[in-house]
Amino acid sequence: MKRNPLTLIIALLLILIFGFLLFSFQVRTTEVAVVTTFGKPTRQITEPSLYFKWPWPIQKVWTFDRRVQNFEDRLTEGLTSDNFGLLTSVYVGWKVSNPTNFFPRFAGSANPISAAETLLDQWVGNAKTDVVGKHPLSDFVSTSDNGAAFLAIEKAILEGIRSQIRTNNLGLEVEFLGIKRLQLPETVSQSVFDRMTSERKVLADRFQYEGEAEAQRIRSDAERKAAELLANAESQATRIKGIGEAEAAKSLAVFQQNPELASFIFRLNALESSLKERSVLIFDQQTPPFDLFRGVSTNLLKK
Amino acid sequence: MNDHLHSPDDLPAPALPPEMPMDASSQALAEALRSSFAIVKVLMVLLALLFLASGFFTVGPQERAILLRFGRPVGEGEKALLMPGLHWSLPYPIDESIKVSISGLQQVRSTVGWYPVTPEQELSGIEPPAGGPLNPIVDGYALTADANIIHTRAILTYRIKDPIRYVFSFVNASNAVQNALDNALLYAASRFKVDDILTRDIAGFRSAVRRHATQSAEMQDLGIVVETCTVDSVPPRQLKDAFANVLKAEVMRSKVLNEARSSENQVTNKASADAESLINLARSDRARRVSDVGAQAERFQEILPQYKDHPALFAQQRLTETLGRVLTNVQDKIFVADSADGKPKEMRLLLNREVPKPVTEEKKP
Repeated sequence: MKRNPLTLIIALLLILIFGFLLFSFQVRTTEVAVVTTFGKPTRQITEPSLYFKWPWPIQKVWTFDRRVQNFEDRLTEGLTSDNFGLLTSVYVGWKVSNPTNFFPRFAGSANPISAAETLLDQWVGNAKTDVVGKHPLSDFVSTSDNGAAFLAIEKAILEGIRSQIRTNNLGLEVEFLGIKRLQLPETVSQSVFDRMTSERKVLADRFQYEGEAEAQRIRSDAERKAAELLANAESQATRIKGIGEAEAAKSLAVFQQNPELASFIFRLNALESSLKERSVLIFDQQTPPFDLFRGVSTNLLKK
Repeated sequence: MNDHLHSPDDLPAPALPPEMPMDASSQALAEALRSSFAIVKVLMVLLALLFLASGFFTVGPQERAILLRFGRPVGEGEKALLMPGLHWSLPYPIDESIKVSISGLQQVRSTVGWYPVTPEQELSGIEPPAGGPLNPIVDGYALTADANIIHTRAILTYRIKDPIRYVFSFVNASNAVQNALDNALLYAASRFKVDDILTRDIAGFRSAVRRHATQSAEMQDLGIVVETCTVDSVPPRQLKDAFANVLKAEVMRSKVLNEARSSENQVTNKASADAESLINLARSDRARRVSDVGAQAERFQEILPQYKDHPALFAQQRLTETLGRVLTNVQDKIFVADSADGKPKEMRLLLNREVPKPVTEEKKP
């Protein structure tokens, strides 16, 4: 019976493809895998690529998500070392790092990741309670140390979780951890509000008094400055006048030639200027030139 | 269909009839077999074409794609991203294209430190009514360095620098970024005093949040670059009035201070103006005095020779002249004649003539 070579080639190709699919598997960059031989893990794969294996039922491939998982724990209350109730919640970035160790514990569950997170939750809780109890509240909130204590707390919790992971050896790895919430019990929040209210009151009062006192100071300062300015000016004016007097005195030498005449002229000037405005003069008949009145009238009457 | 069957590439079909001279039924069977073979062949060609064509895929305008070859990403850094358009990859299981919506800037917002608001309230800008104490489960807030309670929230925008790391190393990288932002907000708040966060050092607080978020992102190797960070902080609604009063007092203080400063300016300006005029007055006084005396001296020099010629006459003439001038100038002149009997006369003077003016008018004549 004559066979067509093309049909043969196609058939061969199909068999090859089918065989390839049976004997190979891929691990993506987001995954790690464990190969089991008759149920026993014999190979772990952490690099993405194409791999070969014996077909089922000899070997079986189990893949797990290797990406960093975000896990946030519940808000739980702990006591600080100085007996403040403090509610904390942290987030944890963790991943499956060793599939061989991870596989026997979690491969059976429907969702290995969430099963692992249930465990992680306990560890995080333990570590948190431990660490929070060792620190006073001022380590969580304070301006003093530039945040070193806060970071130390986060680090201590992370270390606590890591040591529990090491003891259990379940193929997990915690990459990072941070505090996500930091809160006070409800009753405490009310007393914080009360304290804040009184602090605000003090602050408002202080602003008011400070303002008034400062304003007062500015005003009195200004008064003082003004008085100083005027006093300076007055003394300067007196000095200037004094200089004027001194300069004027130089001319006195001229009057020295005939003091009698000088004094007469000065008196005349003084008389004139003193009677310049709004003055009333009362004369009797003895005052010259009004003595004229007497002489004239009497003479005329006698004649 | 039949036409197609007899096309030249039908090889096995023509071979059948000559070998077996058959009856009608087997002939029909052969016919049927032949046609089904043909159908299978066409299907196979179609399948092969389809298989190759399955390598085509489009990337939407808001999307990027990353190609995995045998599970490994092709390309590195931002070059690994396939831009929107039509692309072709080797068919599965060799290549696999993963579509991601990570174009442009990403944004996360942290609300762990904010009170619960519904989206409607958020949009309309209404804040929910203040209740009593804060329930730690429901009400988000942050603790400040001076153990005050404050509400604060932040929005961080970032660019993805390393898409392969961002997409393939995290189940939910944007969630990780948000956690980092939450943490940065709490951390920064716990290092700042309430007044610094709210009023005095808003920029410092914002940059502290940004710095810590950036540090966390780098430490966790999220493959992102932080672009902007905005922070918004308010005092608890329950204490709104108390905080407002402090602000009011602060405003009042600066108002009082400004008033004081302006009055300070006024007072000192006036004083310096007064001082200036005082000095100027003194200067002009001095000038006048000097020139007065100088003029008098000059005049004295002139009249001295005349006086020396006829001292008595000169004096007499001067006196009379002056008296004449004086008397012209004097406003009221009262002449009291001697009484006939030679007895002294009594006169009453009303001094301070300014006030009862009419009286003086009467007296004048």
